[in-house]
Amino acid sequence: MNSTAETVPVISKVRLGRSTSSALIGGGIAIVAALAIMPYLLDERFFYHIAILVCFAAIGASSLHLIIRTGHVSLCHAAFIGVGAYVSANVVMKLGFPFVGGLVAGTLAAAGLGLMIGPVILRLTGKYFVLITFLFGEILRMVFVDWQSITGGANGLSGIPAPAPVFAEPKYFYALALLAATACVAVCGRILSSETGRFVNAIRESEQLTECVGVPVIRTKVMIFVIACGFAGFAGALIAHYARYISPPNFGPLESLNLVIMNVIGGMQTLVGPLLGAIFLVLVPEFLRGYVQLQHIMFGVILILVMAFLPAGVVGVKDWVARRMIPHDRRGEQ
Amino acid sequence: MIKISRRNALAGIAAAAAIATVSSTALAAETLRIGAIGSLSGGGTAWGLAIKRGAELAIDEVNQAGGLSVGGKNYNLELLMYDDQYTGQGGKTAAERLVFQDKVKYIVGPIGSNPVLSAMEVTTPQKVLLMSNGYTPKILDNEHKASYNFRFTLTNLEYAPSMMKWVKENLKVTKVGILVPNDAIGQSVAPPLVKLYQDNGIQTVVDYYERGSKEFSPLITRLMAAGIDGFDINFNAPGEAGLMVKQARQIGYDKLVYQMGGPSVPEIIEVAGQHSEGFISYEMFDFDAPSAQPFVKAYAAKYGKGIINSQTPAFYNATKILIEAIRRADTVDDTTKIRDAVEKLAGYDAGVYGPVRWTGKAIYGVDHQLALPFYVVEVKNGKPVTRAVLSVD
Amino acid sequence: MLSMLTNPTILGQIVVNGMSLSSIYILVALGFTLLFGIMRVVNFAHGEFAMLGGFAMYYLYAVFSLPWVAAILLAPLAVAIPALFLEWLVFRWFYQKMFQSMIGLLGLSIVMIYSALLTWDAFERNIPAAFDGILRFAGVILPIDRLVTIGVSALALGAFYFLMVHTRIGLAMRAAAQDVEIAGTQGIDTRKIYRVAFFVAILLAALAGALYGQVYAVSPFMGERPLFVAFIVVILGGMGSIPGAALGGLILGFTESFLGTFYGGSVASYASFGAVILLLIFRPWGLLGKPE
Repeated sequence: MNSTAETVPVISKVRLGRSTSSALIGGGIAIVAALAIMPYLLDERFFYHIAILVCFAAIGASSLHLIIRTGHVSLCHAAFIGVGAYVSANVVMKLGFPFVGGLVAGTLAAAGLGLMIGPVILRLTGKYFVLITFLFGEILRMVFVDWQSITGGANGLSGIPAPAPVFAEPKYFYALALLAATACVAVCGRILSSETGRFVNAIRESEQLTECVGVPVIRTKVMIFVIACGFAGFAGALIAHYARYISPPNFGPLESLNLVIMNVIGGMQTLVGPLLGAIFLVLVPEFLRGYVQLQHIMFGVILILVMAFLPAGVVGVKDWVARRMIPHDRRGEQ
Repeated sequence: MIKISRRNALAGIAAAAAIATVSSTALAAETLRIGAIGSLSGGGTAWGLAIKRGAELAIDEVNQAGGLSVGGKNYNLELLMYDDQYTGQGGKTAAERLVFQDKVKYIVGPIGSNPVLSAMEVTTPQKVLLMSNGYTPKILDNEHKASYNFRFTLTNLEYAPSMMKWVKENLKVTKVGILVPNDAIGQSVAPPLVKLYQDNGIQTVVDYYERGSKEFSPLITRLMAAGIDGFDINFNAPGEAGLMVKQARQIGYDKLVYQMGGPSVPEIIEVAGQHSEGFISYEMFDFDAPSAQPFVKAYAAKYGKGIINSQTPAFYNATKILIEAIRRADTVDDTTKIRDAVEKLAGYDAGVYGPVRWTGKAIYGVDHQLALPFYVVEVKNGKPVTRAVLSVD
Repeated sequence: MLSMLTNPTILGQIVVNGMSLSSIYILVALGFTLLFGIMRVVNFAHGEFAMLGGFAMYYLYAVFSLPWVAAILLAPLAVAIPALFLEWLVFRWFYQKMFQSMIGLLGLSIVMIYSALLTWDAFERNIPAAFDGILRFAGVILPIDRLVTIGVSALALGAFYFLMVHTRIGLAMRAAAQDVEIAGTQGIDTRKIYRVAFFVAILLAALAGALYGQVYAVSPFMGERPLFVAFIVVILGGMGSIPGAALGGLILGFTESFLGTFYGGSVASYASFGAVILLLIFRPWGLLGKPE
């Protein structure tokens, strides 16, 4: 998580230039880092499993965050995760390549598909982009169901091997997943804090204005989209070789929506948002799981409350608390 | 502020973890937990509730009779159930939590190929027993030789041959229309079913639809135009099957409508109303049989007079078989002994299906498939009437 | 294939199926597009109001045995009036916030589905058909309940059109849909407009649910399909466009009926999604929407 710690505050200075925000983001990173080592302290297999799910979600949500920062909300990100998962599983199981081969092929396949459709659909903006990606995700899901020779159809693919025998143990797979997630988040952070990142922010605020000052808008958007889809494919390959069984519902519209929820719940303005959102969306249902038939109702109420009172996401919790609880004269100490 | 919120978050998680571990150890002296996995959300919820209720009824029976005594100790049984959302990922997470967090040794459920296959990846290496139901043959025919799981309802591979024989002799159809959902069930059962029809010299017209559709008139119109004289609404979820019967009659299809699998006769009568008259179906349970009455009464007392999903007695049966095997193995921890006891349970009668008989060796290489009697029923005056009782060959 | 095309019975069947599918799609989509057009709210809980409409109809008609006309009039009101409380409790927080509304109202949808599940269990209920016959007309078979569905939908559409075009409140709603701030400066009480629009949208959704529940079946999960369809109909017609929702519903209903009959279920889904994607690429504001 070190690299995250280095990159994210840079964005915050560029974006907001407020010391309170960097403190907030520092706090967010501290939470993330503490949670990252927690499974090793508890050393329980189930906690490793949950932590691995958080890592997968973090890769998916932070790569989607790249696209969201250009002002486009994609509702087919999980479908790209699926492309990576199915390609990697096939490359390893049918063509006999080692796991690394599958990982590379899955990443490239998803990125390649992103490159094919990106230039067409990225001409749309706002709600139209949301709608077209929703439909595209549905079509990909239908392909996963119908192309039975490659995807195993609705029954899915089972018996996918672990990356190496040692990684069949969640304890060791977690190290791999944590490394992958850290690397992915670091790259996302690096991109957002680079010159490209400033283009991205400019594009979100006004495409036409950005075009006028000579920034290649479409090319930048396609590049970001392709990178994000590549990361999705990368996550998909990891998921396939961790779960060792994949089927179409894992990559359907609900999962895509979940990745969007992570961004909105966490906060769409900074990279810490999707990370907090990923943790939130994996852990909260786990805490509620014991309330067998009430768990979904409680989860729904939490979604409503967070969105109603923290429209900027969990990242905004500090501002909200500051507004309500801390007297004016003490705010300077923050 | 940040410090406080971070400490709170950590404290909250640590406390929750502590509660989870304390409760599983402190109570273990007299409480024995049976795990359950099933869909408690989305379209598969009726099945998840069937698992929950079937298992609860079996557990209530044992607890009301003073508990389960094993190895000189007396245990009060408790069901611990998690949602699998009817997905592979959900099945795996639920199984991980039951096996590693709650240290459960035996699990009833889930229903459905996706969650069963992924839960099995977790339970089998840990020697945790899985008493499940799903249509894919891989549940029993896999690299583990299904060493720690059993299947408690029949699939098409078991019942279809004798059912087909009956259909051929009694219904005299020549060209059959089949509508199946484009999901795990549909894709598992349609190809062998079509082959079975063809082997018996009956033509088929097959079409797939997306799970969740409610309007089948266009597809039925298409089947009618192909000149079918039998409409097999095979493996559809109860609500969809009911709508198919209703809509077929409403658009003027007046020939035979029947069902070779996916039994849900009470639901179909409820949804299709008068249009269900003359409908013929495979049925896995006879709710009107005298032997079923104690079960039906117990269900109504606890869950009201709603329709009983026909998976409910299957999981009541599975839980009772599991409990009896624990009693006979005389251990609550050694799942290998309990599994051996389950295998040797032939002849035990849990009360709803008659004596236990294991089968499956010929098809899957292992005798972990429960052989159940099954029925052919016809709807007459709004009631299912049994026309034949068949058995697995 | 060719023989099917020239067969008047089958063609007639396609038209009747298409019309009855369309009419329900339109009712659901109209409310959805109205909420989006005026409040910029993506109501992911819209299908659940249809579900409540179905249960209201079930109780009024099947359990309390009210006359059908009274039941079909009361069921939407029985949902829309209590829903005003939800408007105050939940919806008002999300006005003019597209993404927050999407997630928050998804939360509401989850709460509504699983509360319904606790209350009514998971099995499907049937509302007995009020008009359970078949009309044979020139070889075409017309199920009467479908005709009634088409008729009721047409009446509701007519009333809605009258409200929007010929009343002051309709004018105010259309003004708010175009630009809510300017409408506010012109002396329009936006809070009141929001509440009226919400009431009308829920009324239409609940009416759709009541009809849908009687033609199909009632269960806590019955709202998923109508929402999904409303989403696509609204894309097709143009987000926020009312005539667009009507046209989109007609097109989707007929496509499903026509392609489903001639080519089967799979082809129908691929073709209709593909067509909508092409439409979005070349005319993203939908058939009758306006470019922004």
